[in-house]
Amino acid sequence: MKKVLSLTFGLLIIVFMLTVITGFDRKTQAPARQAELKVFMSFPRFRDQFERYFNQFKAKEKAEKNIDVTIKLEMPNPDQAGQILRARLASNDAPDLFTLHAIADIPTFYKAGYLTDLSNQPFVGALFGNVKEIVTYDGKVVALPLESLAWGYLYNKKIFSDLGLTPPQTLDEMKAVVNKLKAKKITPFELSFQESWIPQLMMALSLGGIVTSEHPDFVDKMNKGKGSYKEVESVFNIIDLIMQNGTDKPFEVGSAAGSADFANGKAAMWVQGPWMAESILKVNPGMKIGVAPLPVSNDPEAAMINLAVSTSLAVSPTSKNKEVAFDLLNYILDKKVSSALFQELKFNPVASVHKYKSYPWVDEAMAYVSKGKAYKDLSLPQAVTDETAKMLQSYYAKQATKDDIIKALDKAWADSIKASSN
Amino acid sequence: MLAFVFPALLFYSVFMLAPAIGGIWYSLTDWNGLNPSYKLVGFANYIEALTDDPIYLKSVFFTLKYVMFMVVLQNAFALLLAVLVESRRRSKVWFRTIFMMPNMMSMIIGGFMWMFIFTKVLPYIANHTILHFLDRSWIGDPGYSFYAILIVALWGGVGYLMIIYIAALQGVPQNLKEAAAIDGANKIQTFWRVTLPMILPAVTIGIFVTLNSSFKVFDVVYALTGGGPGRATQVIALNILEEAFYRNNRYGYASAKAMILFVIVCLITLVQLRLMKIREVEV
Repeated sequence: MKKVLSLTFGLLIIVFMLTVITGFDRKTQAPARQAELKVFMSFPRFRDQFERYFNQFKAKEKAEKNIDVTIKLEMPNPDQAGQILRARLASNDAPDLFTLHAIADIPTFYKAGYLTDLSNQPFVGALFGNVKEIVTYDGKVVALPLESLAWGYLYNKKIFSDLGLTPPQTLDEMKAVVNKLKAKKITPFELSFQESWIPQLMMALSLGGIVTSEHPDFVDKMNKGKGSYKEVESVFNIIDLIMQNGTDKPFEVGSAAGSADFANGKAAMWVQGPWMAESILKVNPGMKIGVAPLPVSNDPEAAMINLAVSTSLAVSPTSKNKEVAFDLLNYILDKKVSSALFQELKFNPVASVHKYKSYPWVDEAMAYVSKGKAYKDLSLPQAVTDETAKMLQSYYAKQATKDDIIKALDKAWADSIKASSN
Repeated sequence: MLAFVFPALLFYSVFMLAPAIGGIWYSLTDWNGLNPSYKLVGFANYIEALTDDPIYLKSVFFTLKYVMFMVVLQNAFALLLAVLVESRRRSKVWFRTIFMMPNMMSMIIGGFMWMFIFTKVLPYIANHTILHFLDRSWIGDPGYSFYAILIVALWGGVGYLMIIYIAALQGVPQNLKEAAAIDGANKIQTFWRVTLPMILPAVTIGIFVTLNSSFKVFDVVYALTGGGPGRATQVIALNILEEAFYRNNRYGYASAKAMILFVIVCLITLVQLRLMKIREVEV
């Protein structure tokens, strides 16, 4: 009994002393400020990378400003992210930072007042000129570019070099390449049309090439309601060629299965961007991926690389912790650590702080860009892009003709002008 | 009484009624789902949907075709299975469980499973046996993808109806059947003349349930074809989704389309119930 008593007594003393010590300890440091950030990103595939990066940020913010930052990271599937984000914004539940598509989303989001002017933020000074231009709207920088792209179609370098082929620059050269590949019993094109955005890429490239080289005023005319896709009917030449010389049963192959097929050499070319590089290399780490501009006519200058900024990060004007949000934003392009992040995510450099060796396929695309064989991604209404995606699927399934597509796209464009004007 | 239903009523009104009324309101506006301001446009959305939107009308007709196939096939198969399962003695429970099982599964998951069967298993079987006709683009060819959708929807939906029919079959008094047998009726005659009239209330429910669910079909088509290729298998629900969340984000217009769907379902089920009830009274 005595033993138990003394033991409890002893324990009590120890507990008491501990509280005193920790109490003193606490007194020596000012209480840290709490700040919570809600971050919304459409990058579920990069969750680990961003979580790690944000932990670094938390440590830095704690050390430098004594702010305890908690970050609630939300990463829905890219398919639904847009809808979720719109619902959140409309219900006054805006995340502090959120990703959006630079070309498709910035105009509507800006008009609705959901973007903060970031022109005075330190990161702006470091951005590359052509990248900065794309995230600037109404004279203000409104988002931080994350994913920038220089893309054409992908080709299997090994197959090409084994057959002594070089990426064709004109339609006729492309036909010759297709015939040579077929003579060797190699399917020229991987078709993966299950997800409708993939066939749409063909139109993106071919329209970009045709419009930039032959009809530079096309987008303007369409926006004024005076143009028609009839004028650029030649965009279908290359699309037909690809569809006629592709793999079987494309509607059963999505982007994942497509990467696997392409990585295993089932086809020599794939109209897809370098954003698929990671999943291709996962299947075949030794794969040599090439990027080349898609030939669209017999003018070699019309085969061009598409330069675009897609996912960008914006700050909500309703954020309660704007200062911390800005810190995080600037930290994404931090001088010391940003390079590692962008390299790990396999993104292209967007600012002068990025000093890493990019991937061979990025260099290959950039080589075309430096020769002037590049165009700035056309700014089409989202509805037209969606309509193109659906119509090209129907076109392959022989449910729609070229004329149907032209009519549907003209209508979609006119509708979206109407929708955005009121 | 009110206090008794209050908790449920509260949930119902907050999560079902309020959004539904909101939907009616938005269907009269040109809201784009994002802009804080919008204006009333009256019935313009309804008029546009019914007169100037071939894609929507096409999806309506596709859905009607689907509904017709589903109502007939689903009820026929369910009744057939129910009769067969009832005729088993010891294995009854097993068969009931097996046929009911797909109903327990989310149709999205079921859809992906069947996707695998259609795209990988069937071609494999076709290549390794003489069943060459199986090697088709089940998902990609608009002609076949409709049947692919039907197969999966039936697989998932038949079990539930079967349970309803089994319950009804068990409620048919044995003495009636015995009396018919004594009168010299064979099995088929007994079924048509005695059993079927007796289970007509269950048929009413069965048709009601299938009408309702197949007009609103979404998950099977979404998982299997996504409405594609192109819009070949686009049902109304998918069309509404596309209008609201893709293209021009016309929430108001999409709400109007949803209201039209609601009215269609409402009218057709009302007529169906009325007609079937008359039949039931006659019996």
